[in-house]
Amino acid sequence: MNKKHKKNRNVAIIGVGQTVYSSHREDVNQPEMIHEAVSLALKDAGLTMDDIDCVVHGNMELFEMVHQPDMWHTIGDGAYGKSAFRLTTGGTTGATLVSAADNLVASGMYDVVMAVGFEKLQEGHTTGGITNMADPLWTRHLQTGALTGATASYMIQEFGEERAKRAAMKHRIDMDKHAVLNPNSHRSFGLDYDQMDDLIKNSPQLAGELRLIHMCSQSDGACVVIMASEEKAKKLSNKPVWIRDHITIHREENFSTMFTYDMDERDPTTHRVAAERLFERNGIKDPVEYFNVFEMYDPSSWWGLDWLRDFFLLEGDEVLTMVESDDFKIGGKIPVNPSGGVTSANPIGATAMIRVAEAALQVRGDAGGHQVPGEVNHALASGFGGTYWTVLFMLEKNLDWQKGEQ
Amino acid sequence: MSEYYGTTVEDIFKTQNKRFRAEGSEGVDAVFAYDVQGEGGGRWKLTIKDGACATEKLDSDDFGEYSVKITVDAETFVGVTIGKIDGTEAFTAGKLKVDGQIPLMMELPKLFTKYAPPGKEVTAADILATSESRFQPENAEGLDITVGYNLAGDGGGQWTAVIKDGTCKLEEGLRDNLTVCNIVKAKDFVDLMLGKLDPIVAFGAGRLRLVGDMEIAQRLPKIFSKFKSNASEPVEELIMLKKIISVDMKYSTGPTMGKFLNGLKEKKILANVCPKCGRKQLPPRECCAVCRCDVDEFVEVGPEGIVTYCDIIYYASPDPLTGETRETPYGALFVLLDGCKDREALWHLLKKEDLVDVKRGDRVRPVWVENPTGSVYDIIYFEKVR
Repeated sequence: MNKKHKKNRNVAIIGVGQTVYSSHREDVNQPEMIHEAVSLALKDAGLTMDDIDCVVHGNMELFEMVHQPDMWHTIGDGAYGKSAFRLTTGGTTGATLVSAADNLVASGMYDVVMAVGFEKLQEGHTTGGITNMADPLWTRHLQTGALTGATASYMIQEFGEERAKRAAMKHRIDMDKHAVLNPNSHRSFGLDYDQMDDLIKNSPQLAGELRLIHMCSQSDGACVVIMASEEKAKKLSNKPVWIRDHITIHREENFSTMFTYDMDERDPTTHRVAAERLFERNGIKDPVEYFNVFEMYDPSSWWGLDWLRDFFLLEGDEVLTMVESDDFKIGGKIPVNPSGGVTSANPIGATAMIRVAEAALQVRGDAGGHQVPGEVNHALASGFGGTYWTVLFMLEKNLDWQKGEQ
Repeated sequence: MSEYYGTTVEDIFKTQNKRFRAEGSEGVDAVFAYDVQGEGGGRWKLTIKDGACATEKLDSDDFGEYSVKITVDAETFVGVTIGKIDGTEAFTAGKLKVDGQIPLMMELPKLFTKYAPPGKEVTAADILATSESRFQPENAEGLDITVGYNLAGDGGGQWTAVIKDGTCKLEEGLRDNLTVCNIVKAKDFVDLMLGKLDPIVAFGAGRLRLVGDMEIAQRLPKIFSKFKSNASEPVEELIMLKKIISVDMKYSTGPTMGKFLNGLKEKKILANVCPKCGRKQLPPRECCAVCRCDVDEFVEVGPEGIVTYCDIIYYASPDPLTGETRETPYGALFVLLDGCKDREALWHLLKKEDLVDVKRGDRVRPVWVENPTGSVYDIIYFEKVR
């Protein structure tokens, strides 16, 4: 299954732009909002639109009820008169956009490609859009959007009620403490650990033990990442961040099988399969040791906590011990989501791209108030969406990993 | 009374009855209890019935019967009311707690118009205090002048703007030998600065007198940029277009799902079985994705089974097939029908009355409509076998 995965040529991220994330951007329309991120990314890279060969654009299908919004957005994203593509893969869209742009550059088709992810969730009906993703023959009737208490329930069964609930809430507060440091955050509540028991008990329930405080926001915003071939990147950028490898895994046949877990055994999730395959083909034995930071797509604190054990190949209660020992906080053993993550900002079509963008800023040392201490040479970033689709990225500061390869 | 953002909790409740919209209250019979805590707080009770609203301030914490109770600290309450704090975020962070019939909170914007703090009137002193920041040195190059403001009447006074070496300083009082002096009533001055009074008209009518160097007087609008007041300057409205899309759809079911749905007409639940790996698919899928082969054999399973998991949903998401908001809480049920194993569970709904004690391993059976038509609605829900 794990075929050799070699790039035709190396690709680097040379520019990143993000709008401020917010619950309401009534002050601008969609192309105007996207343009903010495009301008910031061009400025970050020191380029103009003349330097961009191709634009890859995407967001969630139908969340704003605009068909092919790339046509409307042509003057906002600068695609006018250029090669342009539109992609949409659900929650993974932002990560898929970066994957596609990386592939377009690596193939030799284009030298400099700009990926544009956005969402303006206040304009449409997110739940109306998301329930439309289930098949209309059976599952659509039952679908509850992105809400499930299943993960909470299984973790409580596995680790005991008190420990599991406290770990999930500790993780939530850790993420909020990171969000406070990020000026782009949509939500930073200023939560503190003394609120833990109150929130565990009193935060309104959405589905089972998944409570409002655990869940991500609905945000407006756009993110842009500019990628270039090795030759161009070295000319254009002082701080190129190399995209070493990425993998996309789909394992559910459709919605009806998503939550039909085996009663006693936890099936390997797409996250674990993605991590195992990606790390194996890159010779990574211990991801916690190897990576310096991880920007993870965590739609809720329960999912975040559960999935960390998949991405880091953890066993037993290791993930709980790590969250209890502050290992995932800025300054910890392996900081997770120094940006605050998805629970702090979630403009969905941009969300997975923000993970890659933030990981790249960490590698560059340009993350500002939420920069993790110490050298960041190796970063991991993930996207999640649809019927448990996973996209996983490895970013590198130095072009040195190929020395060991054949 | 403690003020937050220049407003007290009392200010807000005082206007409650005035802000009530009878037209938005049709069919609403509810009592909203507000426990506003901390300095400047208090307890209020809003009773909405028969198209009228009664606001009552309570002396004790005995609210009596209420439909929904809001517990919040005074600062957050004022902040949310006047739009300085996002209500959803305060609710999420646990700063604003709602107890009882939470969906009633969604009715509030229909029941009351938004509270608007009474606007504070701009005074001549307020406007002149911004002179230094409105000064445009590039338009005052080489000038060494004094500009006087002799403002009569309520809110009046005397001031001098001293412009020299590309800087501007405002002083109280009138200097001698002013380059130019504005003589005007304070009220007219404010209206002039806010654009409510036309300067030509005011000048022509003698309400504005300018004494001294008229050339300099004419340059004043360039030397000082326009005064902008947040309170009184109407900001151009950014128009929000509202659309509702409603479309009829029809979906082909195909032979595989068609066979399954036809089975429901006879109150039979059919799974299809992969000839290679032997797993059952429920609802049937058009092929086996793992073995990549056709799956033609169908077997009847159930109708009873055991619960593998039940998601209790408290968030009122709409039913995408009808657009109706579902009644909460409801149970999204995964049931392993007799004859199925491992991950072959079927997803459906649980009877409301069974939500209280549903657990893994419970035995359940489908409850059918009288005349099934071959749709997901043929099974109303599953109920516990007791």
